[in-house]
Amino acid sequence: MVNRVLIIGSLILAALIPLAVIALRRNEHSPTPRFHIMLGMDKMAYRKPQRPSKFFADGRAMRPHIAGTLARQDFIYNNEAQMRLTPNNWKLDHVVLNTRHKYERVLLGQVLGGGQGRFITHIPIPVTKALVHRGQQQFDIFCMPCHGANGRGNGLVNQWVHKLRQAGSPDAGTWVRPTDLTSPAVTFLPDGGIYSIIVNGVAGMPAYKDQIAVVDRWAIVAYVRALGLSGKAVSAARLPVKVRASLAAGKKH
Amino acid sequence: MSDSEKPYLHFPKWANKVPVIVATVGGLLTVYVIVLLGYGANARTLNVGYAPVQPVPFSHELHAGLLGINCEYCHTDVKRAGYAALPPTQTCMNCHAEIAPKSKKLAWIHKSYATGLPVPWIKVNDEPDYVYFNHAAHVNAGISCLTCHGHINEMTRVYQAKPLNMAWCLACHRDPAPHLRPRNEVTNLQWTPNNKARLAHDLNLTVATLPKNLGQYLMKRYKIPSTKLLTDCETCHR
Repeated sequence: MVNRVLIIGSLILAALIPLAVIALRRNEHSPTPRFHIMLGMDKMAYRKPQRPSKFFADGRAMRPHIAGTLARQDFIYNNEAQMRLTPNNWKLDHVVLNTRHKYERVLLGQVLGGGQGRFITHIPIPVTKALVHRGQQQFDIFCMPCHGANGRGNGLVNQWVHKLRQAGSPDAGTWVRPTDLTSPAVTFLPDGGIYSIIVNGVAGMPAYKDQIAVVDRWAIVAYVRALGLSGKAVSAARLPVKVRASLAAGKKH
Repeated sequence: MSDSEKPYLHFPKWANKVPVIVATVGGLLTVYVIVLLGYGANARTLNVGYAPVQPVPFSHELHAGLLGINCEYCHTDVKRAGYAALPPTQTCMNCHAEIAPKSKKLAWIHKSYATGLPVPWIKVNDEPDYVYFNHAAHVNAGISCLTCHGHINEMTRVYQAKPLNMAWCLACHRDPAPHLRPRNEVTNLQWTPNNKARLAHDLNLTVATLPKNLGQYLMKRYKIPSTKLLTDCETCHR
């Protein structure tokens, strides 16, 4: 009788082992690939973006840009249709880059000619409330890490590197504190100049032309202008006529 | 030898118990195997927790969590492309040309930057090749990164957080409303619907005019397709 209890008991215990292993497996992170019960058509021969391929010598399925050539979308990049295809279905109305002049102003932020470019002084696309909001959103993605949410140059990355430097870590490298975007160094720049810095970078700041779409660059310029004005008294003469009128009527803004 | 003395086969007395024992043991075993398979071979057990060792020990916890860098800083195409691209090495060098320029952890980044060859990152969240998944369609419909990737901003080494099997996909495709949030908060992993002022700002409404049922409101506003279309075979297998 005792024997039988022992046998059944150990059988039950043995039966619990696989369950325990599964429970453990469910709660740990494993560097081994997932276990495929049936591979089926999970892996097919066709190529997906950013995957390896044995077909090409460099092992890439995606082909890099060949020097001296243009990708197909480069031909249409500058027309209105493509400008509309900016992130989030953002629509940019009334901007048709059908002349060389408009093209230079919107894409380069400059007026070329005479062998020397001049930065344009005003944002070449309609500045609306929506554009400034878009600018804030894009600023918070691409600029805020270093320049900070208020643009004063003390973003979290700057604070992090500051801590590293205080701890004597070599990881602090050659970092310099980012420019205060509300300082005269920026507020006195023409709009095209700020745009150009976003496109080409300056000093320690890298170029962002590959990461930020054209419209979004101008949206950021608009937002940087707003930051430059924030926290500062603005002469009533610079306000739009409508706003001045409603202020005079005693309405709050 | 008479007939009565022939050696008839006599079932021993314990034979009466055989059907009972067979039924009990067989029943228990069947239940056990079903439990074992259901528990062990389901997608939650098999898929979740895969955390490959990457060529560069990139920490999302540091970059996306502590430094608060938005997902879109590196994954710039999530809102405009079907495929959520890994950033080019240039994006790493934006900062690491100056910060930690000599760190050994960045060996692959330097190698890639010098040769132009990509860093051999290992894909973590990998759908089978017969599944069509469009990143932009989901993100622009107000589905957060969190829904499929979990709390990436707390992961030192990225692991698969959700089962990503068909039943899991369908659960949301049958009833997307509870998973929706304002489009410009999809990359905000700390987002909460309880911050009414922020929600009103996101939706360009006032706190007073906020919809009672956010999910249903966003379904209409973002024109989320009907469940019939969302659960059509061709939507995901094309």
